Amino acid sequence: MTDDRVNQLIREATRLRYSRRGVVKRAAALGLSGSALSAALAGAGHAAAAPSRAPARQTSGKLAILANSYFVPAGQEHFLAEAQRWGQENGVEVTADFVSYPDLQAKIGAAVSGNNGPDIIEMWDTWPSLYYQSMVEVNDLAAAAADAKGGYFDWVAPTAAVDGQWYSVPTGFSSSAWAYRISHFEEAGVVDAANNFPKTWDEVFAVGKNLKAMGKPIGQAFGHSLGDPPNFCYSYMWAHGAMEVEEDGKTVAFNKPEFVAGMEKFIQGYKDGFDETGLAWDDAVNNRAFLADEISATINGSSIYLTAQKDMAEKPNEAVVDPADITHGAYPAGPAGQFAIVGSRSYGIMKYTKNLEAAKAFMAWWTAPEQFQPWLESQGGYIVAPQTGYADLPIYVGDPKLKPYIDIIAYGRNKGYAGPSDIKAARVYSDYIVVDAFSKAIQSGDAKGSVEQAAQQLDRIYRR
Amino acid sequence: MSVIPVRAARETIGDQRRRTSRHGGLLEREGFLAYLFMMPGGLILLLFMAYPFFLGIYLSMTDKLVGFPEFSFVGLYNFRYLLQQDSVFRQTVANTFVYAFFTVPFKLVFGLGLALLLNQSFRFSRVVRAGLLLPWIVPTAISSLGWLMIFYPVLSPISWVLKDWGLIDSNVNFLGSRFNAMASLCLANIWRGIPFFGVSILAGLQAVPTDLHEAAALDGASPWQRFLAVTLPVIRNIVLITTLFSIIWTFADFQLIYVLTKGGPANTTHVFGTYAWQVGMGGTGDLGGAAAISLYMFPILAVFAVILLRYVRSED
Repeated sequence: MTDDRVNQLIREATRLRYSRRGVVKRAAALGLSGSALSAALAGAGHAAAAPSRAPARQTSGKLAILANSYFVPAGQEHFLAEAQRWGQENGVEVTADFVSYPDLQAKIGAAVSGNNGPDIIEMWDTWPSLYYQSMVEVNDLAAAAADAKGGYFDWVAPTAAVDGQWYSVPTGFSSSAWAYRISHFEEAGVVDAANNFPKTWDEVFAVGKNLKAMGKPIGQAFGHSLGDPPNFCYSYMWAHGAMEVEEDGKTVAFNKPEFVAGMEKFIQGYKDGFDETGLAWDDAVNNRAFLADEISATINGSSIYLTAQKDMAEKPNEAVVDPADITHGAYPAGPAGQFAIVGSRSYGIMKYTKNLEAAKAFMAWWTAPEQFQPWLESQGGYIVAPQTGYADLPIYVGDPKLKPYIDIIAYGRNKGYAGPSDIKAARVYSDYIVVDAFSKAIQSGDAKGSVEQAAQQLDRIYRR
Repeated sequence: MSVIPVRAARETIGDQRRRTSRHGGLLEREGFLAYLFMMPGGLILLLFMAYPFFLGIYLSMTDKLVGFPEFSFVGLYNFRYLLQQDSVFRQTVANTFVYAFFTVPFKLVFGLGLALLLNQSFRFSRVVRAGLLLPWIVPTAISSLGWLMIFYPVLSPISWVLKDWGLIDSNVNFLGSRFNAMASLCLANIWRGIPFFGVSILAGLQAVPTDLHEAAALDGASPWQRFLAVTLPVIRNIVLITTLFSIIWTFADFQLIYVLTKGGPANTTHVFGTYAWQVGMGGTGDLGGAAAISLYMFPILAVFAVILLRYVRSED
């Protein structure tokens, strides 16, 4: 039996280019003995010294990068300046376009269809499985970036690699947590609110009722937007025993009685405790509403808190919300446990590029720790690094208020869980099927009907 | 500069004509010349309208996904799937009809009223007439952003004013419920569409002979009777053509809805254009499905186009 597991681990480690530490961790997870671990390490080629870095390449020409516009603007400025500095030093004319992410996929679609466009493109989790046939395999780059800093976390490969191959280099996760106002929660009757965010969804709804009565409801987006609405809905779905699909990737497991019951609770909880314009919210509305003191709590990246800090430092007279009054809480648990979405963003080199050498050289340079760490730091912990070796950086552990953004990794799941984060999961996600089940339930008040209809839609996608 | 006497000039032109008719008789033939002049337009139509149209028909019968080079021919599967199984598509069809047939009558009535008003001459009437066109001239994507600010869920100026006056407690839910979202979209669409009706009908009104009006007035007709018996028959065709154009454009709308709701909440404001975008470009890149959604618009719009063309012909 042990041999099978060793062989399996070696295959997995070779395919996904596990670092030495990655192999050790997987071996521990599989319960392998010390000798089996040595065999696995040797088999995966880790007996040798650390892999040598890619040799310097001759570069020239132009390089166009397409990325998501940053939620922490300082990070975008940092990236652009650094990329252009690299360009100047290497004789490459580097340009970067930043677009909001509902528009990003349309641009990728156009580039891929026309076989022409930006050389390097940022992908969200699940997207590499859509476009990998138009992307260059970059196993060497991903392995080098991983090995340089202790290997990737376990959640990275399933959400950014495609069938064990890397077509893009992981750059981390836009983590999320509940951002909330300490003073409002205290007023709503929560004892020691700074350290005591509701632990269950039922408690969230109970506090929400008081908050709304105070005129400071919970604010949550349920519109056609790819960030905050899925974060809420997937977490709630999993916590109530439902999922898009079983582990086999075929059997839809959405229409569960416990989830219908959960949806009924949600409909009431939404009416009692949430800002009811939420059905029209996109990913930006809750940031604005929170910073204008319109709402008490919302699921978001750390950008609300970071912006509040910046506003307070730069224009204290205009800041409406004191960052000292903001803190963060973990996703609450439901009857089936505690869940949230995790998934790594990544940067891929497109097959049609006319400047493959420069693109590879840039990616190797940027994802090396000397550049990557300052890039992470420029975003103040907003992006959780994919490599384990960055976990102790002050941006992650320096401010205890940001801890929930790191803790999420322990209970996070990929989109499409318990199935793989594949093209079908990507379709469910971009067709807003799970999110629309919630918004339909809110509008119609019919929990059962909304869940049933979404289950039918899921069934059609997963049966195809 | 030498001056050629008129007669000599005529002779020169006559010589040239004789020469052309001898060597290039084709250019003399009206039929040929007409086609020659139509060619640039025809080429543009062929390249930018006909080619994408036929490509769309072809794609709609495949399972082509963006990013996957291999695909297969699936016949009418996409069309059948949409009609029989896709509840969002059925909702989209209903939404589109509501959107088009609710807004057009309002645009017509307000546009007609505006045209009648502007047909009076008053100070600065020309400036006002030009200003009227503004909603039509401003790129829709930009004016839609203006509407987005007005309808913004939490920071809408309307909500803030009403809250300040103590008339409401919570923000107006402009885009967050089925009915409100559709009503808000219709309002913005009507605002944008009125000038088109106004200016088109105004042009028609200026063709109404004033002596007819005077004659009718002398015979004791009231303003309402004069409108019905004199004005309306003259502008009837222009009103009809404008209405049909407006229906076609509203059916095929995209920008306003994409900016304001992206088809939400829960697909209650999707129209053909936005749903096709979501399926084809917004996510997984199901180009076959998206092409089929767009093509469903074709027979409906073709009916309107045929009616339109018939009227234009009978006008001639």
